[in-house]
Amino acid sequence: MTVASQVKQTISSLKGVQGTLRIYSNQTRDQETKTVFDEALNVTDDVIKDMEKRLQTLEFEEPQYKGN
Amino acid sequence: MQEWIDIVLRTLALFFTVLVSARLLGKRNIARITPFNFMSYIIISVIAALISVKIITNITLGFIALGIWVVLPIAFDYLALKSKFIHDIVNGKKTILIKHGKVMEESLLKLRLSGEELLRELRSKNAYNLADVEFALMEANGEINVLLKADKKPVTPHDLGNKVAPATEPQTVILDGNPLNGPLSSLGFNQGWLNSKLESMGVSIDNVFIGQVDSSGDLYLDLFDDSIMTPQPKVKEMIYANIEKCHADLMKFSLETQDEGAKAMYRKNVDKLKELKEKLEPYLLR
Repeated sequence: MTVASQVKQTISSLKGVQGTLRIYSNQTRDQETKTVFDEALNVTDDVIKDMEKRLQTLEFEEPQYKGN
Repeated sequence: MQEWIDIVLRTLALFFTVLVSARLLGKRNIARITPFNFMSYIIISVIAALISVKIITNITLGFIALGIWVVLPIAFDYLALKSKFIHDIVNGKKTILIKHGKVMEESLLKLRLSGEELLRELRSKNAYNLADVEFALMEANGEINVLLKADKKPVTPHDLGNKVAPATEPQTVILDGNPLNGPLSSLGFNQGWLNSKLESMGVSIDNVFIGQVDSSGDLYLDLFDDSIMTPQPKVKEMIYANIEKCHADLMKFSLETQDEGAKAMYRKNVDKLKELKEKLEPYLLR
């Protein structure tokens, strides 16, 4: 597995975490818990953005592996 | 008038009078009432019984006595709410039995409570060892309550310095195979949500005896058919595990890459995820 596809895998599992966190943030009744989940969503968002930028660079460097 | 008709009429009238007065006297736990309340209850029932079987022949006088015994305790209850002095007279005062770990023998004497009885009551409060008790008192209704010494108290998350997620009371949303719309809407959900949850668990609603939703919105089910294993909500643990995995992945990338800029970026995000993990732990795992 190339680095690019490994990074892609990590991004998708982070996105999975984000989706589930969003569900919990919507269905919880406690305001404090909601805030914590919302903050967590922002953090994962930042991480995903950074990783996607890195992925673009990697795919630019190794175009032959793009899409794997 | 024939005598038995008289008795039937009296009994019917008293049946409903006593029913109403029991409602008026309140719903205090009968095992925990003060001696005075206990006596007034007995007097009311005895008067009612005496009128009913015609030992008190004059029904008007009987009802007057009954009325006073019902109204006065209620009146005193209201007065006791307003005045501490009357409250103490009606309900009595608490008595301190153990203070700073020492038994107050004079109080025991006043209450005519033997040491054996005191120990029995302490044991019923799970204080087998007198040395563990810091403070104990007898409430006005005769119940003994115990405060254990600070180092003998059960451990709470606060003592351990652990943060736990706040939890509110669960709501029952399915009972006997029927969805309950009131609790569902108070949670902000509807039947569509319930159906999709049940579908993802692979359970038909007819098979559910009790379904409860906890404060984070997870559904717990008890089925009629006990041979079916329902998947218990483990989604939160899964999120935590996934975050942990991403954290490890980023750490690996940061070690593998040759590019200094990328290394710094990975490092930064590793720290972010670590912080996130610590922050979410109480909410996802505890």
